[in-house]
Amino acid sequence: MPQPITDIYLPRQARVEQIEIENSQIATFVLAFSDRRYNDAFRYQPGQFMLVSMPHCGEAPISISSTPTRPGNIHLSVRKAGKLTTAMHGLRVGDTIGLRGPYGRPFPMEQLAGRDLLFVAGGIGLAPLRAVVSSCLDQPDRFGALTVLYGSRTPSDIAFQSDLELWHNQGVDCRLTVDAAEPGWDGSVGLVTALLDDLALKLDKSTALICGPPLMFRAVLRRLADMGFSDHQVLTTMERHMKCGVGICRHCHMDGKLACVDGPVFSLAELRKLKIMELDG
Amino acid sequence: MVHTAATDSHLLKKDHLKGFLRKLAKEYRLVAPVRNRHGDVLFTVIDDLDAAEIELSEPPQNSLKQFFLPQQEQLSTYTVTPEGYDFHPVQATIPPTIYFGVHPCDLSAVLYMDVVFSRRQRDPFYLRRRHGSVLIGVNCNSPSPNCFCNATGSGPFLEMGSDLQLTDLGDRFLVETGRAPGQALIERWQGFFSPSADKDRAAHYQAFLEARGRFSRQVHVEQAIRQLEADTVEEKIWQELSLRCQDCGGCAYLCPTCTCFTISDQRLDAASGRRLRSWDACTFAGFTAMAGDHNPVQAKTAAIRQRFTHKLRDDVRLNGRPSCVGCGRCVSICFGGTDIVRFVERVCQGSL
Amino acid sequence: MTNSINEIENAEVILVSGSNTTEAHPQVARRMLAAVDRGARLIVIDPRRTRLAECAHLHLALRPGTDIPLLNAMMRVLLDEGLADDLFIEMRTENFLALRDMLNRLDLEATAALTGVELSLIRQAAQLYGRARKAVICYCLGVTQHVCGTENVQTIANLAMLAGHIEKEDTGVDPLRGQNNVQGACDMGALPNMLPSYQGVANEDFREKFERAWGASLPEAPGLTLVEMTHGGAQGPIRGMFIMGENPMLSDPTLGKVEETLRGLDFLAVSDIFLTETAQLAQVVFPAACFAEKSGSFTNSERRVQMVRQAVPPPGECRADSEIIMALSGRLGYPMEYETSAEVMEEIALLSPIYGGMYHDRLERGWGLQWPCWDRDHPGTPFLHKYYFTRGRGHFMPASHTPPGELPDPEYPLLLMTGRMYHQYHTGTMTRKSERLSRECDHAVLQINPEDAKTLGLRQGETVRLLSRRGEITLAASITGQVACGMVYTTFHFHEAPINQLTNDAFDTGSRCPEYKVCAVRVEKIVDS
Repeated sequence: MPQPITDIYLPRQARVEQIEIENSQIATFVLAFSDRRYNDAFRYQPGQFMLVSMPHCGEAPISISSTPTRPGNIHLSVRKAGKLTTAMHGLRVGDTIGLRGPYGRPFPMEQLAGRDLLFVAGGIGLAPLRAVVSSCLDQPDRFGALTVLYGSRTPSDIAFQSDLELWHNQGVDCRLTVDAAEPGWDGSVGLVTALLDDLALKLDKSTALICGPPLMFRAVLRRLADMGFSDHQVLTTMERHMKCGVGICRHCHMDGKLACVDGPVFSLAELRKLKIMELDG
Repeated sequence: MVHTAATDSHLLKKDHLKGFLRKLAKEYRLVAPVRNRHGDVLFTVIDDLDAAEIELSEPPQNSLKQFFLPQQEQLSTYTVTPEGYDFHPVQATIPPTIYFGVHPCDLSAVLYMDVVFSRRQRDPFYLRRRHGSVLIGVNCNSPSPNCFCNATGSGPFLEMGSDLQLTDLGDRFLVETGRAPGQALIERWQGFFSPSADKDRAAHYQAFLEARGRFSRQVHVEQAIRQLEADTVEEKIWQELSLRCQDCGGCAYLCPTCTCFTISDQRLDAASGRRLRSWDACTFAGFTAMAGDHNPVQAKTAAIRQRFTHKLRDDVRLNGRPSCVGCGRCVSICFGGTDIVRFVERVCQGSL
Repeated sequence: MTNSINEIENAEVILVSGSNTTEAHPQVARRMLAAVDRGARLIVIDPRRTRLAECAHLHLALRPGTDIPLLNAMMRVLLDEGLADDLFIEMRTENFLALRDMLNRLDLEATAALTGVELSLIRQAAQLYGRARKAVICYCLGVTQHVCGTENVQTIANLAMLAGHIEKEDTGVDPLRGQNNVQGACDMGALPNMLPSYQGVANEDFREKFERAWGASLPEAPGLTLVEMTHGGAQGPIRGMFIMGENPMLSDPTLGKVEETLRGLDFLAVSDIFLTETAQLAQVVFPAACFAEKSGSFTNSERRVQMVRQAVPPPGECRADSEIIMALSGRLGYPMEYETSAEVMEEIALLSPIYGGMYHDRLERGWGLQWPCWDRDHPGTPFLHKYYFTRGRGHFMPASHTPPGELPDPEYPLLLMTGRMYHQYHTGTMTRKSERLSRECDHAVLQINPEDAKTLGLRQGETVRLLSRRGEITLAASITGQVACGMVYTTFHFHEAPINQLTNDAFDTGSRCPEYKVCAVRVEKIVDS
């Protein structure tokens, strides 16, 4: 008889330990598997994602926004977008959800060692990059200078404020911008690309990590190319509809690649070989 | 490809086929192409061997896909109790099954599915059904008008992949042994078989040559593969095809190698439900739609491009051969005339 | 349909009017596209640039409600260019002179201007249609759901007879029916003025025949039409209703009036497979079996009667419609004791001449039979009117332009058309239960031209308010060149956006069919409060 095969589709129960409200649309859920031994042994890498189950809602892929350097729990930062994420926003501390993972190709942290890292994000796009920033900060001498450029719709939409403050205090160059100002906002207004203008970067030792809505993504790519970034120096993480998470169901197809196993992290050089909406549109 | 039967092949007289199947049916669930009372030939679980009209010369309307990847299957159940939200695995026992009378196209499709469901991750639900299954193939002497397995390298005769491979030689079958379980069946039921002679092997080769000559279509799959790889398929071909695609998903459902699926929850009551996996089709707009109505596959042409590019370019890159097995089922079901043969023909015309 | 569906594939010219065939009748569209592949010319008359219109050789994007002038102009071109079939007109028709005189009085330029279609296009369409050896006209609700729906259909018949495009295989006039058995329902007398097989209730002989067979007396006056019944008002003459498999609470115009009428009844019973909006108002609901849970026959668009066989038993307490009717009839004091659907079919064959040779044992074999099928030996009729029309000679019925009941004005400046979409069916009673279909589209969208959207400052997908003199709904804007400037289009599938609260209850006086295709509306941007 063949050996029993692990049921890769079976979620495990995880408990909400803490909820951080980031803005009216985004919350960060701090989670731990109910099975303590499994939780203790659980490992992941920045850039990977989990498939989250909510009762009667099926599953959705959510990037892990915490750093593996602090095991014991995982953070999922979630924007209210559909049925499942809306249900998640109704969760309270102590409630349980289903989780399976981690899945996907992570950010190549080995290759990033020693380099200056430029993070460019819009809205919920900071969630996967948060994992990298936190991870870098936990390994102080391993990486070069860290810069975070973050765009939001309005000042009250700025998510991850406590993180941004903390990072700032730890020496990260954090710069914010909003599409539309509100009374009391004296910061930058406009596209996140405008923040790139004032940066003094060491181009040859920099790598950019980008995550945000398609329009912002394309604008940032153009600007980085103008600045002299090669396609190999730009990394991003792709968002796709997913079902299996393990490269079988093919919902996340990207012109021959699958976001769940070939990504979600890609270099721009890899993406340029593909016909995808993010680059064509 | 060499299509000479090995010298250790056997003969099974047609008169003895039912007797052989009866022996097999004692230990296995038996699935074979059966003509039903409406005249349709379908792979069917045979309960009563004497009542079943097994039809080997006409390709069945369904493939074996549904037996290994059911149209819908339960992955787990879940409960929501004061203690929390829990998933419970399903315990199902799949009886060992013999699939008899499998044409080369459908056999090739199973071999392709084996790769899909075990390359990156071992899919427990597929493999549970696949383990303990025995494939008895039958080489195809009479391709149907829509068949083109000769162009996809998956027929009309197959050399390997099955456990036993039969060739119709009139009053008898030439039986070649493939994998070990097939050899074991022959050894166990030796009485039904006799050794083949040179003339049988010559007849087998003759049958192969004749079958090869019976294809009514010349479909230049190779050329479409080359053009997709070189990215020289004209945009207007995609536009034409996507305008004509009626978005019914019939091609994907009937296709023996379309294995895309979706997973969804079925609520039973407030506190419980089932997690189901069911067939899906990459041509549906909803296949890639994300929460909040955003869809990364927006262009009208993108969905149909995905369908053909996956089968004829991506899988060639990955496996060295296309995942279209030339069974022609999509040709017969397609509403709009946007099946894979139409695509290949358009690509070839476009390059004239 | 005067033709069989398969014949469409052999036509040389296919003229499609008021039919979004690829979405509403995909199996028919399949034949049209196959014909195009064989070299047929496709002409589409539709205000919208539908997918079929994109596949067409000629797309005549007429102003909604101008079908008659458009077809009249085509006929005038046929006359002017000697493309009328004089022999056919002489042998098979009557009243031609009235048509000819009317056409000769037409100012072609002015008529074309009225339709919004360039005269040169109309001319090309007429030439293509007139010169073809085999030509079919397929039409659907875009033709009939107008105040002048009957005249629209008569004008189509005029065109076909003028060109002699009837009476032959692969040539004819084909209305596409919307449901699997709507043809069968009409055939069986589910019409206010007809007994089965189009035997009028007003005719004493017909009545007597049925009275003898049924052992009951029959009323001589025709009944009421659908809208007359559902729009009678709270104090209407009808006090009790039994509604089977119909959801007027979503499908009928001016829904407010329907609700008032149904709520005002003394008694309402509904039989359906799901608890529809209508069933929710009923005092008694009969759970019905669906198509796969019963045996019998359906009659499709091409007059083909086909067997449907029970595949699974009905769930719970559900019963086949026939069982519900028989049980009800028994309780009402008229026992009906048919043991099988085959027995019902024997009665149909007995009383309905066009079904005279249809018995289950014959229907079981092959693909059924097409009426008329007069007796057991009759093979059925693939196409109609071979040697004579039902009434003898084909009577030309000249018609002139009747404007829609309501047209845009400064207050309601846009013209609303309603229709259907591919992934939903009618009021969504069944299709909205399918997760897969809902994934494709589960909300109403309002198609609006980019220019109009720009004027209103709308973004793609933005929720807008749509108002008419009768009501308002909100739905998502879909900005698309499929609709012309000044027109908007949506579907009636979604109870969240019940478009028939807005549609006009003006109706065709002949068919009593409401004008779902045209009413005046206004689109408003929803401003954040």
